[in-house]
Amino acid sequence: MAEADVNQYKGKVKPSWCPGCGNYSVITALRRAMATLNYVPDETSIISGIGCSSRFPFFMSTYGFHTIHGRALPVAIGHKLANPKQNVIALGGDGDGLSIGGNHFIHAGRKNPNITYIMMDNEIYALTKGQCSPTSRIGTTTKCNPYAWTADKINPVLLALSFNVSFVARSYSGDIKQLEELITLGLQHKGFSFIHVISPCVQYNKVTSFDRIKELVNPIPEEHSTEDRLDAMRLAFDNDTLYTGLFYSIDKPTYEERVDKVIEKAKATVPNGATVEEIMKQFT
Amino acid sequence: MKDLRVKISGTSGQGIISSGDILTYACARKGYYVTTYRAFPSEIRGDGKCYYNLRISEEKALTVSPETDILIALDDMTVFEGLNQLASDGVVIYDTDVIKDEINVSEGVILYGIPITTIATEVSVAQARNMVALGVAVELAKNLNLEEQIVKDIERRYKAKPQTVIDSNIKAFKAGVEFAREKLTRKDKLLTAQMKTSGQKLIMSGNEAIGLAAIAAGCRFFAGYPITPATEIMEWLAKELPKFGGKMMQCEDEIAAINYALGASFAGVKSMTATSGPGFSLMQEAIGLASMAELPVVIVDVQRCGPSTGVPTKTEQSDLGAALYGSHGDAAKIVLAPINVEDCFYQTINAFNFAEEYQVPVILLSDASLGPRRECVDLIDIQKLVIKNRLKPQLSEGCEYNRYEDTETGISPISTPGDKFGAYVATGLEHTEYNAPTPKPEVHKQMTEKRFRKLETAAGEFSKAHSFGDSDAKIGIISWGSTCGAVLEAIKMAQADGKKVEALYPRTLYPLPTEWIKNFIREKDVIIVIENNYNAQFKSTIVERCLHLHQGVQMIEMLKYDGTPFTPEEIYDKFCQVQKNYDETQRLATNKISRF
Repeated sequence: MAEADVNQYKGKVKPSWCPGCGNYSVITALRRAMATLNYVPDETSIISGIGCSSRFPFFMSTYGFHTIHGRALPVAIGHKLANPKQNVIALGGDGDGLSIGGNHFIHAGRKNPNITYIMMDNEIYALTKGQCSPTSRIGTTTKCNPYAWTADKINPVLLALSFNVSFVARSYSGDIKQLEELITLGLQHKGFSFIHVISPCVQYNKVTSFDRIKELVNPIPEEHSTEDRLDAMRLAFDNDTLYTGLFYSIDKPTYEERVDKVIEKAKATVPNGATVEEIMKQFT
Repeated sequence: MKDLRVKISGTSGQGIISSGDILTYACARKGYYVTTYRAFPSEIRGDGKCYYNLRISEEKALTVSPETDILIALDDMTVFEGLNQLASDGVVIYDTDVIKDEINVSEGVILYGIPITTIATEVSVAQARNMVALGVAVELAKNLNLEEQIVKDIERRYKAKPQTVIDSNIKAFKAGVEFAREKLTRKDKLLTAQMKTSGQKLIMSGNEAIGLAAIAAGCRFFAGYPITPATEIMEWLAKELPKFGGKMMQCEDEIAAINYALGASFAGVKSMTATSGPGFSLMQEAIGLASMAELPVVIVDVQRCGPSTGVPTKTEQSDLGAALYGSHGDAAKIVLAPINVEDCFYQTINAFNFAEEYQVPVILLSDASLGPRRECVDLIDIQKLVIKNRLKPQLSEGCEYNRYEDTETGISPISTPGDKFGAYVATGLEHTEYNAPTPKPEVHKQMTEKRFRKLETAAGEFSKAHSFGDSDAKIGIISWGSTCGAVLEAIKMAQADGKKVEALYPRTLYPLPTEWIKNFIREKDVIIVIENNYNAQFKSTIVERCLHLHQGVQMIEMLKYDGTPFTPEEIYDKFCQVQKNYDETQRLATNKISRF
């Protein structure tokens, strides 16, 4: 892969993440995956919420929408529905996608829009300088919980599987090669592809460091069938091993396809094409 | 007879709305003008009372009247209430199978106690009693020639139902007609009632008018969440929008709904959402995003009583403050308020045009009295509508495209994802003209001014405030939205009594057309501001924005916040009281002068 192919996706603004931040791997992996698939920058939209990782669109040469906290998915889905030809990638952090925007994640799984959602999970709110997030581990202390953290963590992969998200993968920022492979697969997947990336924060989360994650990760056993949802869940349940790779991938109709069917049905009721004058007749 | 005022009342589940709708459509299709008001409880089928008021008239009626010529009462609970509003020579049709108590009425009122349930059961089923009652009413007002049209409208309403349903409804209706024709000894005023018809017109609800206008304006994306009393807009668009290739999405909540709409608008598609108070509160943050990212979007708020869940089915104009000042920060946006069903259509067209042309969120304030109300609308010439689109940039290889270019008008050309050489990042962060996020003080100041400059550019286009009545009147009324019908009726009552009053109806509430209001206030000594809320939200706005323009004027508020719309009588009474005080003050002032 030529360097120029990857560099065409670089935006005018240089990434402003802290040195050593896990998100650098993600942006490199995404650019490489896009180059592999010959993505045209103008035909791609990257939609994010609010948080460190949500600054992402500014660092790319594609169209982008840096929205409000938690709302990357509804904006991305509305965008995709309005222009199904556009490649749409939604991304953001764990707080953005699982806390304030958690509701949208569940419903995106049900709808299966043909978009890719990359969640960069650093198990902390970093942009606001370190508070516990929905994926923070028991034992994490911050200025907001100096004595103890009081809630269980969400398991994003298990959550996605339980809502039958049609593509579920996990990787971590320490393995850029796997990350690139999974993002490439996710972009190619027809339907809602969710890629959970453990992307450590070197500044505010000392519990979930690169070293700690390195000890926990293990590739998903080769014998795992990616169509077996229960087995995928069993792997996701494992607290001692943090399995990475493709958990689940199935083929089901996309949201756009289902909506198009509705349009076909509606259009069949007006064989000569709809006009405003014609529908106005119902009021006479 | 110039008009015939009908009230159908009963408990929910008795088919009050169905029979009211059928009568409404039949009258409009027959060439009469008709306007309606429906009131129903939020419980689906509780013991709630349900009313359907219609006013059938020769000329365009502006509002329903609280007074009734024909009261059709299907239950014992509502009949006695209905009597209070009966005209002195009114007619009551009631079901003797249900209402056993003696009904005492004043002389002049005619009672027709009819075994409605028995008749319905004989020819069809007990549930068809609403149709029997309708038959009786139609026969009483037989010179209106509605019988055949009603049959057609029963067929039309139930066309999706099995033929047996249609047949049993028609049978019950005809049985009602026959009973009245053969068994009743007539002595009421309806015997000679006649009314002129005038040509074809449209009959639609405020919610339907908004849906229709959205499609006519080019809206091809709607996202919403069910909420009373706005759901009808979503339901109507769900049926019609896909015929045009448009998409209607039911979302997981109102926050998702408006964000879906923003995503679609970002893709270059005209987008809308519709909601009521609670949903409107949830949308506030995204309204600010639309303002900051300069994305067109139309937000309809069919207001209901608040705060919180409030009274979901009853009307109020209490979201004005939230519409004007709701989203945090200085958010450039436009707020419009239609004054009747017909205006719902034209203001929705304006809403899309303003949103697209000025790249702002536009809020359209309807309410529970306007949304579900059916009214006659004069024929609309779709070809004559002016439809505007967003300004696109000239893009070419190597061109320097600055999405938020600071221009004289404030409007910056907007590219659409997919356009070559037009890539940019829309953002809720403050940003430079060149689209880079920045916290610099001078940029925030410059870009805030740029966004508001669009509204100054837009000011020339805002529909002129409507004024009605006598321009040389010293007492004026300023109001907004759905109160218009009742105010116009009150003006007519004043004119009939030889009194002068003039009313002003701004339809653009933000930015407030201060010039027009100033010119109006300048000629008046007393202004009554009429609105359906407790906090005098519009009056406060006028006082804040316009009063310095004419300090001498006396501002009086007239507020109603019980969930029901104003009646012409209430407004006229208030006006008379204000007039009396004004005359008295004038007299004292004159005396004082003469003493010197």
